[in-house]
Amino acid sequence: MIKTFKIKIVICCLTLTSLMGSEDLFDEDIEDILSIKSELKVEIGSRDGARNYLSSNTPIDVITAKQIEHSGLTSLIDVLRYFVAGFNAPETSVADGSDHVRAYTLRGMSADQLLVLVNGKRLHTSALLHVNGVIGRGASHVDLDTIALKSIERVEILRDGAAAQYGSDAISGVINIILKGIGHKNSISLHGGARKNGDGEQFQADTFLSIPLNYDGFVNITLDAKEQKQTQRAGTDSRLSPPTVQTHAGVPDATNYKALLYTEIPQQGDITLYAQMLLNYRESEASAFFRPACEDSAPIYSSGFLPLISAEIFDYSALIGINGRFSDTASWDFSNVLGQNNFHYYVNNSMNYSLGSSSPTSFDNGSLNFLQNTATLDLQKHFQDVKIAGGIEYRYENYAITAGDISSYSGTASQGFAGFHPDNAIDEHRDSYAIYVDSIYSFSEDLLFEVALRYEDYSDFGDSTNGKLALSYTLMPELMFRSSASTGFRAPALAQSYYSQTSSFVDTKGVLNTQGTFRNDHEVSKSLNAKTLEPEKSNHFTIGAVYQPTSNSAFTIDYFYVKVEDKIMLTPELTARSQEQQEVFAKYGVSAARFFTNAATTHTQGVDIKLNYSHLFSHTSNVDFGIWYNYNINEIDKKDRSILENENPEIKTLIERGQPRDSLKFLTNYAFQKINTAFNISRYGSYEQSRDSVNYKFDAAWTADLDIAYQISNKVNVAVGGTNIFDTIPNKWDGLSGTYYGSDGIKPYSRYSPFGYSGTYYYLRASLEF
Amino acid sequence: MLKVVLSIFFLLTSLYAYESEDKLKVIIIGKVAKYITYENAQNLDNFVITVLRNPFENLFDDIYKNKRIKSKPVKISYIDHINELESTNILYIPNVNARELSDILYKTQNSNILTVSDTRGFAQRGGVMQLYFISQKLKIKINIQSAKRHSLKIQPTLLRIADVVKDEK
Repeated sequence: MIKTFKIKIVICCLTLTSLMGSEDLFDEDIEDILSIKSELKVEIGSRDGARNYLSSNTPIDVITAKQIEHSGLTSLIDVLRYFVAGFNAPETSVADGSDHVRAYTLRGMSADQLLVLVNGKRLHTSALLHVNGVIGRGASHVDLDTIALKSIERVEILRDGAAAQYGSDAISGVINIILKGIGHKNSISLHGGARKNGDGEQFQADTFLSIPLNYDGFVNITLDAKEQKQTQRAGTDSRLSPPTVQTHAGVPDATNYKALLYTEIPQQGDITLYAQMLLNYRESEASAFFRPACEDSAPIYSSGFLPLISAEIFDYSALIGINGRFSDTASWDFSNVLGQNNFHYYVNNSMNYSLGSSSPTSFDNGSLNFLQNTATLDLQKHFQDVKIAGGIEYRYENYAITAGDISSYSGTASQGFAGFHPDNAIDEHRDSYAIYVDSIYSFSEDLLFEVALRYEDYSDFGDSTNGKLALSYTLMPELMFRSSASTGFRAPALAQSYYSQTSSFVDTKGVLNTQGTFRNDHEVSKSLNAKTLEPEKSNHFTIGAVYQPTSNSAFTIDYFYVKVEDKIMLTPELTARSQEQQEVFAKYGVSAARFFTNAATTHTQGVDIKLNYSHLFSHTSNVDFGIWYNYNINEIDKKDRSILENENPEIKTLIERGQPRDSLKFLTNYAFQKINTAFNISRYGSYEQSRDSVNYKFDAAWTADLDIAYQISNKVNVAVGGTNIFDTIPNKWDGLSGTYYGSDGIKPYSRYSPFGYSGTYYYLRASLEF
Repeated sequence: MLKVVLSIFFLLTSLYAYESEDKLKVIIIGKVAKYITYENAQNLDNFVITVLRNPFENLFDDIYKNKRIKSKPVKISYIDHINELESTNILYIPNVNARELSDILYKTQNSNILTVSDTRGFAQRGGVMQLYFISQKLKIKINIQSAKRHSLKIQPTLLRIADVVKDEK
């Protein structure tokens, strides 16, 4: 009986097979052939042009526009967190500027050790420097929320050091955002949703317009407007009687406008002109801790007040370029990209206690500004068995801090966030030159060997030369081994070298008291053993394998090891200990200081394991699924500066255990005729946060996301979905009780939570193609 | 039961798949011939596909071995220069520079040859059929004016699934 049943199943499968098609594609209907997905090609990782991402000698992942569309997400950071195991992007609150520019990391490393490119060109970083105890503390990184999702063709993620190819910052990896080119349909979409609790409403409208030009040229324009309302997950404030919820903890209120223009204008010959312009304007508002009623605030606020820190962010990147060919095997490309990010702080609903009843309640607290201009000339030449690419690059960077209103920094300064003092104001710049070469040798059909070398000279700290060796060996058509070893570096950000924010107040004894972040070259910092910042230096090694039993399935496994020397960190607040230090502190009226320094040597190692499978039943029906597991360990090997010799559990925990060591993604997408269903499950490993020298552990958690889309007609598509649909909430502080942080405190959840703590988000989406 | 599940899995995985761009291009080059009428067809014994500076390694030979197009056996001819071109039904032109492309199109103009290329702007520059990829899907672009000049009659079925363009003036 059982045997008969099995035979029937096999016969059914065989019948199914015959209905679905044969292996000989030439015999298939032309429409079916045109509906087959081609291999996924990437440009990152090598300068020899696009190639199959699975044939790369270093691990590369790709997120396609279709995947982004069916994720239901509205920001690039969330898209990466959703699809990439080991990509971490917590949602912080009550963390000043960090609430407005979310930090993100790959493989548990620092946020500024991840290089971001757009169409292969370096994107400038945000002017913001994370100085609070958040993931990304001490880092200034690219603001990924400046890029409109609808403009993206795919996102390529290189999981390897690549400073020898792309220069500074490419330590934990490189993200390359490829913009949509020719042939994409015009579309307009509307998205609206809210959290299960009824707050956190989001509304987004975006459109993509493509105008074809001669010879497959195009002008593509993307517009994106999004409004996000805050979520409120704060606990009660025990300082109040009766205790009530006052402080805001959750995602902030934000309005975000993005525009992107991308054009390629081929000329009659082999020359193509191209340009891209990214524009972003954002207003965001989040709170500081509530200030209960007190004698100082009584002149204006009789029952306390909640300072609101607002950010006005303006960001642009303007690129123009020209490329052409010398011959069929030789090409050139010249481009110049100018990018700028301005982060302007305002504080509302606050006061400056020193000014009493004459204090304003709204303050202009000053701004941070970063400008970067990069000019690049790339050359490529293909020989019989060798492909060589190289180029030269010049980069100029400027970092400026503008002081706030006098009322924002004078006296006790504006509550919530002190304005930048004129002493903090700076306008500093540097430039750098680079020359690089990248070559691939084909020793045989099965053995490819890549060598890359890059020399850079910075005007502030000197030069750095880095190299990369990588090879891939195809043992059999289904099985390829790959390995790479490289050195890298990360130049100190200008912000790390020159940022300072100090606030002064007269204490109860009438003594001037100054605290805050000091420049690395300030006498106070020097008294604490600060040295001129050196670049971080890194060593990388990866080894892995790609197994493709069939062309629609792939299994990859990659081990990685990264050692970073002279890691730049923001010290904890330090006080004077020696006689000499006390004298310097007294000279400036300083009670505590922190600054950036090359503080430690760290190593990161782990493994990425991926399984992808795709099956096309017909040109209207297919299934894709993927499993991705990431495990990584970050450890501090040694502290290079005496300032960190005294164990600081908060910083140590932040680096070593503040992010999940393991994460798992189970991604599925099933399309059947007019219905597309995406269902994803994520597991985030446990993490820890330190308070008052005690480590608190937060449990691992599972989340699930669902998106169901229905194609009403060829042009109209509607979808319903939710993220974190089972409303997974991280556990609260276990064993910690306190006013601000603790299970019964104002912030009951850790700001390190890798999936936030705002819970389920439901949404509706409608899109029209035209 | 496990065997049954595995059987299903491997049966399914042996069906459609992600294919290389090159393979899809090579297949479609011959596949479109079904939808094209050669109005001044030379009386060739074979259906000839000529490949200029073959970038596809053995794909053409592997795919068209023992295949027939328009009831004729398929012959693949490889050339290194356009001057070597002999009687053919289809000419595949690789991604060449503008000057050489102009020369090739001049030498093949008004011939009864389906010119195919993935060179950017090929169709608008006077080629008949251009291949390109968008979002991992192979697309076809056809210049109907050029097709007429080459005395090629293209069936509506093919025009319906292709982007139709005209010469760029």
